[in-house]
Amino acid sequence: MSNYAIECKNLTHYYGKKLVFENLSFNVKEGSILGLLGKNGTGKTTTINILNGFLQPQDGECLIYGENSQNLSPQNKARIGFLIEGHIQYTFMNIHQIEKFYSKFYPKWDNEPYWHLMSKLQVSPKQKISNMSCGQRSQVALGLILAQDPDLLILDDFSMGLDPGYRRLFIDYLREYAKEKKKTIFTTSHIIQDMERLIDDLLIMDFNRVLAQRSVKSFMQEFKQFHLELENPDIDISNEEFVVNCEKVNNKLELYTYESEEKVLNFLKNKGVAHKNFRQVEMGLEDAFIGLTGKY
Amino acid sequence: MWKSIIYKEWLKIRWFAIIYAALGILVVGNIFLKGQHDFEFSQEAYYWYSILFNQYRFYEYSLFKFVPLIGALAIALAQYFPETVNKRIKLTFHLPVNENKALMVMMLFGAFCLFAIAAAQLLLFTGLSLVYFPAEIVQSALISIAPWFLCGFVVYFLTALIVMEPVWKYRFLYLLVTATFVPLYLQTAAARAYSPALPLLGVFTVLLSVALLFSGYRFRKGEM
Repeated sequence: MSNYAIECKNLTHYYGKKLVFENLSFNVKEGSILGLLGKNGTGKTTTINILNGFLQPQDGECLIYGENSQNLSPQNKARIGFLIEGHIQYTFMNIHQIEKFYSKFYPKWDNEPYWHLMSKLQVSPKQKISNMSCGQRSQVALGLILAQDPDLLILDDFSMGLDPGYRRLFIDYLREYAKEKKKTIFTTSHIIQDMERLIDDLLIMDFNRVLAQRSVKSFMQEFKQFHLELENPDIDISNEEFVVNCEKVNNKLELYTYESEEKVLNFLKNKGVAHKNFRQVEMGLEDAFIGLTGKY
Repeated sequence: MWKSIIYKEWLKIRWFAIIYAALGILVVGNIFLKGQHDFEFSQEAYYWYSILFNQYRFYEYSLFKFVPLIGALAIALAQYFPETVNKRIKLTFHLPVNENKALMVMMLFGAFCLFAIAAAQLLLFTGLSLVYFPAEIVQSALISIAPWFLCGFVVYFLTALIVMEPVWKYRFLYLLVTATFVPLYLQTAAARAYSPALPLLGVFTVLLSVALLFSGYRFRKGEM
């Protein structure tokens, strides 16, 4: 038995003639938290839909605990907690009705974390979920997933529509829960700062390709940003092999690379690129993400 | 687990089902109020003449004509429209049960509610009819209104198919099919005129019951 919760092999998908991705492969280890990052339209939700069996890829397959995601058995589905983008739930129910509804489906159902979260919400027992704020609905959705006690959590853009306080609450609760109970999480979010607090591994997608697939720690150690001011602003080094991306405004250059400071300086020296104020810039995950994918 | 799905469906349709049931009772009451009126104010001989020789309107049961259709439409919309808002049907498909079975339970529960309400209306109608009319006339009336009640089920199944269909182009196509078939059940006809066609209409209605599975399958394959 592999120790992967998710194994996706050679996924290829088109919408009409538009290629979303080709031969996309990735694995998620049991007990790890993987964040799928990418700009809008790079295929994050498409990947989530394939994982949940709501979309059949043109080619390739995703296995969840060894089963093809297109034909998951009920036993396997009970091991997966799924948060739909926008914290979608049955809004015609109130918090008691929805807990009663879901509790019958999951053998490991534990309503304690659900009611713990609900106690923090200022809602009346009979208030329908449709009359709650987006933040309150997110807590209902999170509480239900925690009560389900799944082995794998698939969260599609969990930060959508949440204010900073609720986002922080969501992330802190989730990370503590996942680490304490050794849960696997596969998540997307368009707010990269949130991911920095949550994920162990990242998968950064661009249009039609994967830009990075590794642990956050190694990515943040190895991916670097250097700032320099060129004497001659017309010099273009963006096509050099070691340059992942560079952004130039007048003579000021932001250079993104996996190479060391020493190698970059040697290159500039050997090529005779006159410059000043060369320095390495500390980056957060969001800076690194923008550095890797570009601003446009 | 299946009880939970029924619980969810009931939460969606309960008010619509109650209103439909109440509407049906009001219609039955109205039919016999008119009957009572005719007994009181028309001469009995004239009334029986109407019944025996003007069979197409021997008492005002035609008030039933659109009631099952309206009730079924309301229940189907109440049941399936919330599942399409933000593609909420994904939540049902993600439950640890077979997706087709989940859809079938939803459909069977909706159809059962329609059946239960129709049965209550028809029992009331038959009971009151037997007070005033001989069994032969009541039987003719029941055969005459049967297609309208079958129509309720057809509208329910086709509305489910249309609402759950993920592609608008197909929705219009299904709508055209619905607009073609539903009037077949609603022709104004003389008493018992539908009698030879009833078995065929019944079979067609039962066949339509699984149509919802097709929309569910298309949704799960990612049609959009």
